[in-house]
Amino acid sequence: MRMIIVALAALAGFAPTVASQPSGIARRVDAVRDGSVSMRFASVPGVCGDGAGSTWTRNGSSDSWRGCITGPVHVVIGRADNATVSVRTTIGDSRRSSDNDLGIVSAPDAARYLLELAHSLGGRNASEAVSAAALADSANLSSEFVSLVQDASVAVDTRQQALFWLGQTRIPTSDLSRLYEGLKPVGLREHFVFVMSQRRDETAIDKLIDIASHDADRDIRKNAMYWLGQTNNPRAVKFLRDLVTR
Amino acid sequence: MRRQLVRLALIPLLASHAGAQSLAQQVRSANGTVQVIYPSRPNVCGDGQGSISNVVGRAQFSFNDGSSSFGTPGRFRPCEHGPARLVLTVLGGEVTRARVYVGAVPPRRGDVRVVNATASDAEAWLTETVEHGNARAASDLLLPLILVEGSEPWKFFLKLARDENRPAEVKRTVMMWLSNAVSEHLGILDDAARSDEDEMRDQAVFVLSQRPKAEGVPALIDVARTSSHPSARKTALYWLGQSGDPRAVDVYAELLGLR
Repeated sequence: MRMIIVALAALAGFAPTVASQPSGIARRVDAVRDGSVSMRFASVPGVCGDGAGSTWTRNGSSDSWRGCITGPVHVVIGRADNATVSVRTTIGDSRRSSDNDLGIVSAPDAARYLLELAHSLGGRNASEAVSAAALADSANLSSEFVSLVQDASVAVDTRQQALFWLGQTRIPTSDLSRLYEGLKPVGLREHFVFVMSQRRDETAIDKLIDIASHDADRDIRKNAMYWLGQTNNPRAVKFLRDLVTR
Repeated sequence: MRRQLVRLALIPLLASHAGAQSLAQQVRSANGTVQVIYPSRPNVCGDGQGSISNVVGRAQFSFNDGSSSFGTPGRFRPCEHGPARLVLTVLGGEVTRARVYVGAVPPRRGDVRVVNATASDAEAWLTETVEHGNARAASDLLLPLILVEGSEPWKFFLKLARDENRPAEVKRTVMMWLSNAVSEHLGILDDAARSDEDEMRDQAVFVLSQRPKAEGVPALIDVARTSSHPSARKTALYWLGQSGDPRAVDVYAELLGLR
């Protein structure tokens, strides 16, 4: 059985576009002044969880791991004084309930709502919102992720999470590549290099070589070299060899 | 006439052997701590405590509380030339721990036995102990051997590096010193003029060293032999030595001119 841990707390992240009208989910959540609101929505095929917050994606056909239960994404939102104060995400938890259960909701709607919510949250709550959206069996969320990545008011770790998940979408590598110049925080630029290295196509290699050759930050150049070396791409290896023998 | 010449030539060798034997006996007979003091290389200096500089080129070796590090001189510390002072812990006739200092020799403590040795006796005893002593002592005694005035330990180090029965830890240390010896021999050890681009090349060499061995080792050998960038060459020599690949020793021997 091959399973890859999805680092929910550390890696996910997206941002929905700013809607001119609050979604149905937003209205229903905002209607709760104090207490909790829960919802469930379809998860990406192959995702499972332990019901306590850890979630995995299965890479392969085996489904024999007993501790990992497939099922919908379950999100519980905490409300206090008309504001959202917490977000918790689980898969495989059939027991959790809340004061206000929205029941099964549309996965794309939920994902977009949660990514929008992530713009105004911080720390673990933002992380959980982004993770929940990433696990939703949803349409392409690349524009929502881009919005979150580019939002300078959002914490860097949340933007990193969004960047990671953006790299997992079908966004063309050339579009992903163009994001780089607008990213200011070093932590985000470093993360970009890793995300790009996971693309493994020629456009990604071009971008990494460009960063390794010309970026103003020496540490980021080194980082790009490191990930180039991990790609197994012949052009990447040739670039490194040329650098030291020319 | 020829026989006489041979006899004459043997006299210093025999004397050195006898001296080393005597040193060995004195160390063996000690139980506890013994200090062996011997002449050090002319350029080497230290603070008499945990820092020694100019071991090979301007390379610095320092240690504190059991951890050691190797690098180029950083912060300013007094660095005086002086004899090497090897402090040995001997248990049951066997060296179990060794530390070496260079610089001012502190006042003698009454309970510590002191042995003054010539450079040749020290070299002979250290070589013998590294070759046949326990692995821990062998590792600890490599630096003291390098420090001996007039010693040329690199051929012996190559032999250690080629010894398949030698523990990996000892070999790694041997290869680290050899990489520096090669760099010094090639005149590329001193990196005072290292530029930002050198730093980038060093990173590229490191990344190449992390490639699968079948690809990484030939790349490192190529850089070590042919690169026109001294810093990259030096870094390639270092990582080549740490690869554990037997081809590294041959490259070192070739570049040192010691087949």
